[in-house]
Amino acid sequence: MKKKKLYLPVLLAMFTLMTTLAGCGSGEKSHRVTESKDLAGARIGVQVGTTGDSYVTENYAKKKGTDIQRYDKGADAVQALKQGKIDTVVIDDQVAKAFAEKNPDIKILGEDLVVEQYATVFAKGNDELREKFNKGLAAIKADGTLDKITDTWINKKGDYHYKKKITDGPKLVIASSIDFPPYESFDGEGNIVGFDVEMLYAVTDQMGMSVDIQNIQFDSIIAAVDAGKADIGVSGFTITEDRKKSIDFSESYIDTAQVMLVKGGNDAGVVSFKEKFHNNFVKDGRWQYLLRGLGYTLLITFFAVIVGILFGFLLAVIRVAYDKNGSLPILNFIAKLYLTIVRGTPVMVQLLIIYYVVFASVNISKVFVAIVAFGLNSAAYVAEIIRSGIMSIDDGQFEAGKSLGLKFHTVMIFVILPQAFKNVLPALANEFISLLKETSISGYIGLSDLTRGGQTIQSLTYDALLPLGAVAIVYLVLVVGLSTLVGKLEKGLKKNER
Amino acid sequence: MADIMMEIRGLTKRYGDHTVLENIDLDVKKGEVIAIIGPSGCGKSTFIRTLDLLEKPTAGHILIDGEDLNDPKTNVDEILPRIGMVFQQFNLFSNMTIKKNITFAPVHHKLMTQQQADEKAMELLERIGLADKSDAYPSQLSGGQKQRVAIARSLAMNPEIILFDEPTSALDPEMVGEVLNIMRELAEEGMTMIVVTHEMGFAREVANRILFIDDKVIKEDGTPEEVFNHPKDERLKEFLSSVLH
Repeated sequence: MKKKKLYLPVLLAMFTLMTTLAGCGSGEKSHRVTESKDLAGARIGVQVGTTGDSYVTENYAKKKGTDIQRYDKGADAVQALKQGKIDTVVIDDQVAKAFAEKNPDIKILGEDLVVEQYATVFAKGNDELREKFNKGLAAIKADGTLDKITDTWINKKGDYHYKKKITDGPKLVIASSIDFPPYESFDGEGNIVGFDVEMLYAVTDQMGMSVDIQNIQFDSIIAAVDAGKADIGVSGFTITEDRKKSIDFSESYIDTAQVMLVKGGNDAGVVSFKEKFHNNFVKDGRWQYLLRGLGYTLLITFFAVIVGILFGFLLAVIRVAYDKNGSLPILNFIAKLYLTIVRGTPVMVQLLIIYYVVFASVNISKVFVAIVAFGLNSAAYVAEIIRSGIMSIDDGQFEAGKSLGLKFHTVMIFVILPQAFKNVLPALANEFISLLKETSISGYIGLSDLTRGGQTIQSLTYDALLPLGAVAIVYLVLVVGLSTLVGKLEKGLKKNER
Repeated sequence: MADIMMEIRGLTKRYGDHTVLENIDLDVKKGEVIAIIGPSGCGKSTFIRTLDLLEKPTAGHILIDGEDLNDPKTNVDEILPRIGMVFQQFNLFSNMTIKKNITFAPVHHKLMTQQQADEKAMELLERIGLADKSDAYPSQLSGGQKQRVAIARSLAMNPEIILFDEPTSALDPEMVGEVLNIMRELAEEGMTMIVVTHEMGFAREVANRILFIDDKVIKEDGTPEEVFNHPKDERLKEFLSSVLH
């Protein structure tokens, strides 16, 4: 028993060692990029779905030796560049400037690859809203507001900030990927700030409307707008012919260029662990991202478990009624189909389908969507666990019930299920522990769960090890703690049986 | 006779192509104690299980007070509680205490209040000598004790007939006596019973009618004296000489 106490610290130590080693890996075949023609044959990082992505894909993907790495976030690409995993990052110039400022060991090459225009996106046919937006945009262009915002955020001159005036009344839902400074990012207190944000505030004030900005993965924004989940997508969208096929653009509000970021300039120097720790967790209260995220993770898991148990029980009983008596053949067929589909597809795909397809036309809380998605997924596994528990109960228990004139459902509820439940409790508990871990994909529908909290810190500090390591440790502690509880419960149940 | 309580006509049971029981007729009179004997695999357990619909008869009629158990139009939920069943493997509800095992069904059927059922259960437990076990769980009892509780459980429903499916076959030899004693008392009180058994001594002493089932049918039907002392059927003679010696 003494040994068990050592278990957790040893695991944690191993984990820390592993992640530290992982951070030390460096690229083996570096390729120097100094101008655009060096992109051929280079390892190029881009943010998925951006202009940089389509530019390099179009011009360099077929060149021999070119390796295009697509990252969810610009910050991830920059991180890979710093670690030598790629040779260059192709990204919007203003974003590149923001990265280069915070990371002295990377620099911008002075060559513009392609000049482009940013605009906001609307669902096809939503012309009324688009016209109103364009009018508002024209107004802030005319009165100089847009120029002042541009000076502050893009040219870094002056400290003008536009404050939103209309905060209630008719509300527009805005989809934005909050990881794209200086256009949109979180400040120290978790507020969404940036050029796009103030431009949006100014335009919507002209329109007489308030806004609700939802943090959505960049490559999902167009889908969200198209599905009616959001009214406007505002996230540094470049006007392209391709995108025009699925959405409509407003007038352009700024011109930008794509540039190349490479390693070089001044080396960052060694930052002490203490400083890194302070920067990642203490500074600006960043630990709160993790705490708030943990709250969401636990909330989603708890209610998904309840949905899973209730619905899973129902499915199991339908299946058993058919197996034992041949009753409910149609319901059994539906239940079986459900189990096959749910267990045969990834939970992440289910989550996305439920968010973007099933609840597409209703504006509904994401927490609710996540609870429904994870609950319905878990129900399929719970159903099979409980069914196996029921089938393991001796037929004699059913027969005794029948011989006393009890109906099938009476025997089920009062005799079989209590016994089956006890038998499968450990398996059920394990299912719920894995459910806790599965909720880590909630970020894909823009929920700020524990994992997303770690990613948010990562996008602020450009440090992966500490925030993601902290996230992993929190999960590990939760899982090991729960497993210990389950072990105790199991022992307790065994005692009760005597 | 007026007091026939169960009439079986043309009872047939098949599993696919395999016939287990063929066209069986039997009248069971009130208060009769019938022992069914026969070689293993002859279908005697299947026979008694069809009488409680644990096996669905393929054809035939089981008439109780003129109502046919094997007719889909009959409301069997009203008839089945009147037929008690005692199993070889006891089949006590493992998740319930002994007292709850006995009181659950009568209370659920609203035959008694919980209080009445508790009193009745204690009375029955006194009678079978297990009053001190009322709050124990089945897993804490010996096989013989479990079978006595199983009999008490079926008695709590005030059945008109009790079917016993090899009630002592799963017991250690020293526990057989305690169960047979209770069955003997029941027989003496006039309970109608059908017992599938390998206990020839019990059959001879307690039953007033013996059925020998073999090869899908009732081969011989008579008093213990007739069946044990003057068997006519060749297979019965063979069977008796193999079990009695």
